[in-house]
Amino acid sequence: MATERVKAEITGNVWKIVAQVGDALEEEQTILIMESMKMEIPVMAPMKGKLRELLVKEGQEVSEGQDLAVIET
Amino acid sequence: MPFEEHIAEHERRTARALAMGGQARLDKLAAAGRLNARQRIDYLFDPGSFLEVGMFARGEPREDWDKTPADGKVTGYGKIDGREAAVVSHDITVKSASSSPINVRKMGHVRRAAISNGMPLVLLNESSGARIPDTMGAIGTGTLGQDPTQFIRMREVPYVSAVLGPAFGTACWFTQLSDFVVMRKDAQLAISSPRVTEIAIRQKIDPMELSGWRMQAEVTGKVDYGVDSDEEALDLVKKFLSYLPSHHNELPPRTAVPTGADEPANRMLELVPEDRAKVYDMRKVAAALCDPGSVFPLKERFAKTAFTALGRIDGRVVGILGSNPMFKAGALDPDSCDKACTFFVLCDSFNIPIIILVDTPGFLIGVEGERRKAPGKVINMMSALQMCSVPKFSIVMRKSYGQAYLNMGGTRNTDEMLAWYSADVGFMDPNVGVNVVYGVKREEDPERFEQLVQEIKRDSSAYDLAGIFSAVAVIDPRESRRWLARLLEVHQKRPTKGIGRHLLGGWPTTF
Repeated sequence: MATERVKAEITGNVWKIVAQVGDALEEEQTILIMESMKMEIPVMAPMKGKLRELLVKEGQEVSEGQDLAVIET
Repeated sequence: MPFEEHIAEHERRTARALAMGGQARLDKLAAAGRLNARQRIDYLFDPGSFLEVGMFARGEPREDWDKTPADGKVTGYGKIDGREAAVVSHDITVKSASSSPINVRKMGHVRRAAISNGMPLVLLNESSGARIPDTMGAIGTGTLGQDPTQFIRMREVPYVSAVLGPAFGTACWFTQLSDFVVMRKDAQLAISSPRVTEIAIRQKIDPMELSGWRMQAEVTGKVDYGVDSDEEALDLVKKFLSYLPSHHNELPPRTAVPTGADEPANRMLELVPEDRAKVYDMRKVAAALCDPGSVFPLKERFAKTAFTALGRIDGRVVGILGSNPMFKAGALDPDSCDKACTFFVLCDSFNIPIIILVDTPGFLIGVEGERRKAPGKVINMMSALQMCSVPKFSIVMRKSYGQAYLNMGGTRNTDEMLAWYSADVGFMDPNVGVNVVYGVKREEDPERFEQLVQEIKRDSSAYDLAGIFSAVAVIDPRESRRWLARLLEVHQKRPTKGIGRHLLGGWPTTF
């Protein structure tokens, strides 16, 4: 089974984690919400799949391009 | 019977051409759930409308004459929903549809016929590239390039590509030249095949990484849609063409307005949050503005901060560009500038009015952007917008800051700029501005910071914008569709019957 690493598109903070490991995700389903540029920006599944791993915690600062989660596609 | 021998010979040769690369190869395609080159044409064109030119063409070397029916590329003309189009359908069962001097001659013939007669060129691409070993050596290679106009793209007519298998060489080049590209998820698109590439650079290649649909749809942005079947691909080709005129001196076809088309726009206040910190999906706003079901996204998986789509308002075709706060807060990056440019080129070439929906904190600035030529990309987009001579309208919905305000049609960069009463325009986000202008940080002096934010925010409202007549009107968001529908009636470029100057017709074909 292929895996896909979900990356931060923008530098900011992890504000809220919405999905849980093991969840079946639809394409564009929200995994977590980042706070950046004074806005709440969702990080969404790029493809349909299962959330295998979350690599960040709420409150954590992340940089653009950083891995946030892994999904099985 | 007179001409008896001629008739028999003609029937024999016709049957040979229609048999393509032989039953075994055709069966293999069918077993893989794929259509062959002629079935694709049948699916694409209205029944009985296909007129084939070049059926009796064959490969140049005498020993290939009987092995190369139609020389591996089926060409001709047919009707799509009653409108003429030209087609090149690559036949993978004949020498892997490789490109040869004769089949390239066929391609050139229908391409020129398409341009001179004002009909779209549809390319059903699947080819191993140049025919080897014929093209080896000076004589083989020097025979190529007989047509000095082959790769000139002035966008007199739409070019549309479906990548339905391996597409290398000429099939890849014409895909790059196309206005719309749909690709099978098991197809490949690259300069050369993974095998040739591996040999050339002595490195193991992941075919999907080199030439797969996601690479082309998400990284290069060349592919508009990835699909699972030939039928799905051809349906999208037809759908795309339904929005376009047959050529650049014609208006896009107008369709009937579905009943209740005004209703969704009345719910606009439910789609866009008043709270500036909340994001929303600009695609839903576009859907509410357009006739129900008419929004047709382009390059949706690429540079998502900029949403581009064709759609219809009151049955009139429009092109919609919107910054999408759902991705990177709607901040524009180099890729989204490229995407916007390509979209402007399409709309300007084919007389499609442009509507720009604006809610952006500006350009995403930083070292990475500069390394990726962000300033050049920003100004390319700006030049392209200013060169567009189709009707242009913009709506400032919430934020619009700095140069991005201009790139998104600010002030006179669209024919009519509207502002929602929630519009907020300035040189930069007030929260950033306080720090830059006064050197005050929120964490150090929250009270003073907030006071300065309010000071900067003063004079940045929709009414300020309308007060200096940069916005022509401040409107209720629920009135947006009605405004746009009326503006489309007003701005019809009557002296030229709606035909633009097409200054972007020769803009580079890729980005």
